[in-house]
Amino acid sequence: MKPRILLIEDDVHIRRFLRASLPTQGYELLEAADGREGLSLAASQPVEVILLDLGLPDLEGLEIIRQVRQWSRVPIIVLSARDQEREKVITLDAGADDYLTKPFGVGELLARIRVALRRSMQDREGREETVFEVGNIRVDLEKRRVFRGGEEVHLTPTEYKLLTVLIRHAGKVVTHRQLLKEVWGPSFVDQGAYLRIFVRHLRRKLEDNPARPAFLLTDPGVGYRLRAPEE
Amino acid sequence: MPEGVQAPPKETAAGTEGRPRLVVCLPPSEGALELVRLAHRRAAALGADWFALTVETPGQADLLPQKQEALRQALQWAAQLGGQVVRASGVRVGPEILRFARENRATCILVGKAGGRRRPRLWGRSLADCLLRHSGVEVWIVPLPEGEPEGAAPRGTRPRFRRWLWEYGLAVAGVGLTSTVAGLLSPWLSFTGLALLYLLAVALISATVSRGPALLAAAAGVAAADFLFVPEYWSFRLAYPDYALTLVVMLAVSIIISGLTARSRFQARVARLRERQAAAMSELGQKLSLAANRETLLATAVAHLGEVLEARVSVLLPGPEGELTLAAGPPLPEDVRESMVARWVYRHRHPAGAGTDTLPAVRALYVPLGPPQDPVGVLRVELPDQGLVVSEMLPLLQGLARQVGLALEREELSRQARAAQVEIEAERLRNILLSSVSHDLRTPLTVIAGSASTLLENPGLDKATRAELAHNIYEEARRLDRLVHNLLEMSRLESGRVELHPDWHDLEEVLGSALHQLETRLQGRPLVLELDPDLPLVQVDAILLERVLINLLDNALKYSPGDRPITLKAHRSKGEVVVEVADHGPGLPPGAEARVFDKFYQAAPGTHRGVGLGLSICRSIVEMHGGRMEAANRPEGGAVFRFTLPLGKDAPADNGEMPHPQGQAPHETPHSPY
Repeated sequence: MKPRILLIEDDVHIRRFLRASLPTQGYELLEAADGREGLSLAASQPVEVILLDLGLPDLEGLEIIRQVRQWSRVPIIVLSARDQEREKVITLDAGADDYLTKPFGVGELLARIRVALRRSMQDREGREETVFEVGNIRVDLEKRRVFRGGEEVHLTPTEYKLLTVLIRHAGKVVTHRQLLKEVWGPSFVDQGAYLRIFVRHLRRKLEDNPARPAFLLTDPGVGYRLRAPEE
Repeated sequence: MPEGVQAPPKETAAGTEGRPRLVVCLPPSEGALELVRLAHRRAAALGADWFALTVETPGQADLLPQKQEALRQALQWAAQLGGQVVRASGVRVGPEILRFARENRATCILVGKAGGRRRPRLWGRSLADCLLRHSGVEVWIVPLPEGEPEGAAPRGTRPRFRRWLWEYGLAVAGVGLTSTVAGLLSPWLSFTGLALLYLLAVALISATVSRGPALLAAAAGVAAADFLFVPEYWSFRLAYPDYALTLVVMLAVSIIISGLTARSRFQARVARLRERQAAAMSELGQKLSLAANRETLLATAVAHLGEVLEARVSVLLPGPEGELTLAAGPPLPEDVRESMVARWVYRHRHPAGAGTDTLPAVRALYVPLGPPQDPVGVLRVELPDQGLVVSEMLPLLQGLARQVGLALEREELSRQARAAQVEIEAERLRNILLSSVSHDLRTPLTVIAGSASTLLENPGLDKATRAELAHNIYEEARRLDRLVHNLLEMSRLESGRVELHPDWHDLEEVLGSALHQLETRLQGRPLVLELDPDLPLVQVDAILLERVLINLLDNALKYSPGDRPITLKAHRSKGEVVVEVADHGPGLPPGAEARVFDKFYQAAPGTHRGVGLGLSICRSIVEMHGGRMEAANRPEGGAVFRFTLPLGKDAPADNGEMPHPQGQAPHETPHSPY
């Protein structure tokens, strides 16, 4: 069965080019031109991924995310304009899984959809990965050992904790707030400097060229993204 | 009496020529209110402008506070009813009234005629007579009720009463002392000599006390001389008539002396007051003219007035919604009545508050700022002692307030002129923007439209060509996106709508993400990174800083050949971080080092595509962060763009002092590290 994708987008041209591209890549596309229609489609039909435009005429994107999250954990990928970093962070913190900045290419969108599908499948099957591998990095999550190009890398407990959180969300962006909360605790969500310093340490230990990271990527103003193995 | 007609005061001359002018003379008595009422009615009936005139005379300081209060009330009421309040001072009332009437071309004078006992000569028959004889204008005489019984002074006026007692006591004591001295000297002196001694005493007493006690001293001196030293001794009877002449002359001289000294003291006091006012006004004018902007102007005014008036002074100005807000000076006490009074004053254009009749329950006096008919705000004056000084100080205060208001108005006008200038400049920029944007947007649009229509209309194209055209469209769309982004960014920066969201960031990370954004364009381009490994975190808005780096790299990519390396350096230097982006291109044309940051400047117009905004945006952002930006040609060839970022004082140290989830393995304790 083809995975079904719900697109909630008011712009007819964007809908048109996605209608032309997504079905050819093996997805079934459901379209909604506004928020209400989107919500009712999401409630009445099983969908695997929701693509949500942030500038809908009738409902705030945030409102839609909150409503969907009341009854479903279906991955939501937000489509937003470039200057909306704050909105992106807000929607991600409110439960969106990922975002894509307009204008975007189909290739980027497909990569995001693949990550989202993999994640939700893992969730459904309750399968915990025991080994994570991307590029020349290999993390044995059971034995808590990290290797780079076959050589073991020593991480401090905090660095390791940070890495495991990123692995759990591999392929999608994790906001600064989420990372601080999960690694340091809820009272540290505003201490961005801690995060930056530990990310720097992690990059120096894992990346070949920390100034041009290949795995531990920065989403400016939003958060970090660990490259997923399938990307 | 001064001869010749002087020019009338400005405000009385403007625009009201030909209308009748009525002058009402207000005496310091309870009848003054009645006179104001009448004058207002008559002026209304005649369609006349009217003046409420009061003449301060030397004797007025001795008046009962109730009388002064009555006069003050009458003057205030007159002002509220639309009369113009004028205070004059002179030795005698009549001539002053006439002088004022003549100078202001009054057509009608209204005076009260009281049966009052206190000042029968001035306010009774002789004043009216004097006016009738000399004025040549219509004079209305209004009968006023008898002067009220003086009664006991109210409690608040005790100090004044005490001064009276002291002055009269001094007069009596002085005469007594003189009599003692005269008694001791009498064996050696003739009566004429003794009489001179008394005269000396009267002169000395007059020099220190006011007129009443001085007259008492004169009379007591003559009486004592008569009683003690004129035969028959110890009686007022005169044995020889020539003693009578001496006594009469002595009395006359004493009275004249006391009158003269009192007069000269009064005039000196008036002169001092005037001088102080004039000095305060001119000094204020000078200071205000030096103020560079509204804030310093207000601060200057508040400081100067506070000093001159020895008071706490604040300025309240209407905000954007017309609501009076504090613009300078100490804040108002938390009393709703204070702001209420301020609003009243602003609306009614009339002083009110402490020491006045209107809403006196508050701590300060409020005076409208600026021209009385169109105030620009309210001046709040909290005098340390809100005693009786207010009525004396009010004219000065109003003068000062008016001056401050005018200065504010002037400042506002020049601000508007400056704003208009800025607007013209902005308009010019908009025009350049429009022309350059229309060119630079059209080029990629032409490519997109052309490629797309080729694809549409030629279904038979081979696969490679189709792919090439699609690629064309994609690339040009990306370019268009960058262009639009730069334009939006510039206009946001220009309009000041960009809010800085600074946080501690790793420069290396920001640079990494800038390089990531340019990944496709950087392919195949040698890149040299020289980053100091110990760079501290910098407090920046990461998104804006990334924009700076992207624009600088984009610039280097555009202006140097595709195989030449681009060098990126960052190091710490004193209190800042220095970042450099260098290329190996032809470098900047001579003299362009500073101009490259100007909006729409292009070093080689027409050869490269862009609007000429990128570097300008860079400089704006760097300066927003408190850094500097410069461009130069490198000795070894190529251009270098360099910017600095100040290092924050309390940059988080990268030394493991970070709180770790302690004690246990971190993955088992996802929450609170402590």
